[in-house]
Amino acid sequence: MLACGAAVIPLLGAIATYTFSKRNRGSGIAIAGSVLTFVLSALVFYTTWDHTAIHRQISWFTIGDLTFTAGVLLNNLSVLMLFLISGISLLVHIYSAAYMKLDPRLPVYWTCLGLFCFSMMALVVADSLLLIYLFWELVGFSSYLLIGFWNTRQAAVLANKKAFIINRIGDIGFLAGIMVLFSQYHTLDLVTLFSDHGLVASSPRIGGVWVGATGQLSQAWLTIAGAVFFFGAMAKSAQFPLHTWLPDAMEGPTPVSSLIHAATMVAAGVFLLVRVFPLFDQTVLLLIASIGTFTAFMAATIALAQHDIKKILAWSTISQLGYMIAAIGMGSPESAMFHLATHAFFKCLLFLSAGAVIHELQHHYAKSGDTTDPQDIRNMGGLRKKMPVTFIVMTIAALALAGFPGTSGFLSKDAVLVSAFGWGAAEQNVFSVIPYLLFVTSLLTAFYVARLIFKVFFGPAGQEELHEAPAPMRWPMIVLALCCLFPLFSVNPVSFESAWIMAGFYLNAVEAGAYHTYVPVLVSLGGTAAVFFAWFCYGRNRSGNIFTDKGMLYRFALNGWYFDKLYLAVFVKPVVLLSRILFGFDKKVVDGLVNAVGSLGLSLSAVSRWTDRYLVDAAVNGLGSISKTIGNFTRNFQNGRVQYYLLATVAGVLLFFMFTYFL
Amino acid sequence: MIPLEHYLLISAALFCIGLYAVFTRRNAIQVLIGIEFMINAAVINFVAFSKYDKAKLGGQVFALFAIVLAAAGVAVALAIILNVYKYYKTIDPGKIDELRD
Repeated sequence: MLACGAAVIPLLGAIATYTFSKRNRGSGIAIAGSVLTFVLSALVFYTTWDHTAIHRQISWFTIGDLTFTAGVLLNNLSVLMLFLISGISLLVHIYSAAYMKLDPRLPVYWTCLGLFCFSMMALVVADSLLLIYLFWELVGFSSYLLIGFWNTRQAAVLANKKAFIINRIGDIGFLAGIMVLFSQYHTLDLVTLFSDHGLVASSPRIGGVWVGATGQLSQAWLTIAGAVFFFGAMAKSAQFPLHTWLPDAMEGPTPVSSLIHAATMVAAGVFLLVRVFPLFDQTVLLLIASIGTFTAFMAATIALAQHDIKKILAWSTISQLGYMIAAIGMGSPESAMFHLATHAFFKCLLFLSAGAVIHELQHHYAKSGDTTDPQDIRNMGGLRKKMPVTFIVMTIAALALAGFPGTSGFLSKDAVLVSAFGWGAAEQNVFSVIPYLLFVTSLLTAFYVARLIFKVFFGPAGQEELHEAPAPMRWPMIVLALCCLFPLFSVNPVSFESAWIMAGFYLNAVEAGAYHTYVPVLVSLGGTAAVFFAWFCYGRNRSGNIFTDKGMLYRFALNGWYFDKLYLAVFVKPVVLLSRILFGFDKKVVDGLVNAVGSLGLSLSAVSRWTDRYLVDAAVNGLGSISKTIGNFTRNFQNGRVQYYLLATVAGVLLFFMFTYFL
Repeated sequence: MIPLEHYLLISAALFCIGLYAVFTRRNAIQVLIGIEFMINAAVINFVAFSKYDKAKLGGQVFALFAIVLAAAGVAVALAIILNVYKYYKTIDPGKIDELRD
């Protein structure tokens, strides 16, 4: 039940921050909540890791004779994620307190961040697909709020809309997957479905028929279910073709990019795939591996050409997520999880360091009234001497990203690559190129991250009065830097198999073979070569830039392979056009119909008004006026004049006589 | 011998003149005079028709009674007119219309 507490505290913190905080008071509550969450998560992790999974559930609601349950499932996967998320979110909370100190909407920021932490942790401990889906949506929503936090910026508003819409597209996939599974098994409980002897593992696939507990479907549905789950994960984890939201999401505050769009939320897709891993058949796994590899390669090439420091890191994130996805596709979810864990630390650190650089430059530019873009690496240089701590920690993170020995990234990347080569050896056809593509990607990674470091920290120093970031920003970075080194993950710095995370997920043994020896060596050597090449291009002599800004390939990469433009042309424009047409149809036909009915009613009522006025009222009024006329006429006789009365009497008598005599 | 029709025609003319006076005069005294005209028209009729009752001359006696009664009636009427004048400050019967609705 500690886990529940850990998951709920951020929510309470968020509410408390929103309710009680005046300016700057929110930070204390938020950080306190974060610390508490971390302590609880650590306790949960300590008591549950490598023990039997804890599964507690209550009946949630009943429809017909189907009872839906809600509860928590604590196995190695969820407690690892819980620990990871709470740890990183604690560091990011501390960092944010300094980074966002001057923002007038700070309480709102803490609230959104708290909401995010709550949904993310609830997502990892949830025990049913329905609950996961719920928190999956919440995570997307809080990400939407945080990307658009600076809501006066047009770019941020566009970016959060884009992120939200693309995530929604993915959610459709997830929902469809849930539907397929539910119609097959009539339950959404993770343990019932996906445990070792669960329904999915024990339902036979005979002759193209997928036999479930309560019925059977064509085996095509199994493939479809896997593919649509992957589609859901694709949006959340920014895989091709739904990757375009992540670079734009960098419009949010840097700590947000660090926590959500590098370390945790984007890992949700990977997490989901690992959760439902037994569902995937051969076709889907191949699809996952191909998409992951393609994304990794594509994003790495794009990262080569970016100028914005956060964009480089964003594309790098997509690339690394591609690695994880590819590892899942190659049947090695344990190495995917391992890479997820190490990546969370070093990518978070990269973002925080970038944030520190941006923070300082922004202050500097704001002071001097300069309008230079503080995120453009072309304007940076020589920060090594001004910000030594940032330089050192960012270099450690960069080495981890590039996969150098002694770092955590080395272990996890090798785990992925070794399993990739082991898998590739078994593949005969065109798919055997996948491991080599991943290898090339790792070289590209080393190059672009080296370019980033050299551009930012080396070369001639420009600004004079820059100094180190404040302590609340510096310390989380140092802690993260320590987490990027090997001892946290493995006692043996060169053998990923001794890493405890790998041991904790030993789903199936990696067929290491000869690859286990030469892949790490090749990666290290190639990475070193790439770094030296980058040094040659950017570090030693900044004018000796061999990549001109005019090349076709360069522009291709700078524009992200033109996917944004393609989507704009292929999807956005037609949708907008269709909406225009529908709008026109609505306006002309539907509205026209409604208006016609309206005016028909109007004329009908005009007719009835006429009838009322000139027939019904006329009868009534006519009667009235007749009696009035008669009354007025007879009234004339009562005029009080004696002579008149007499005249009337005489006239009456005369008339009477006339009647008597002449008729 | 004057034929009966002449009496009757004079009487009718007198009656009509009297009636017209009663209807149209704006003075109560004149109205009263009109009434006297009409009474006298009747009296002429009595006298004229008394030629058929030569033995008792009932018509002429009736005429005498009528004249006396008319004189008494005039006295009463004049008294009323006097009082009306005191009360209303007018003897125009058209202006004394308090009985109207």
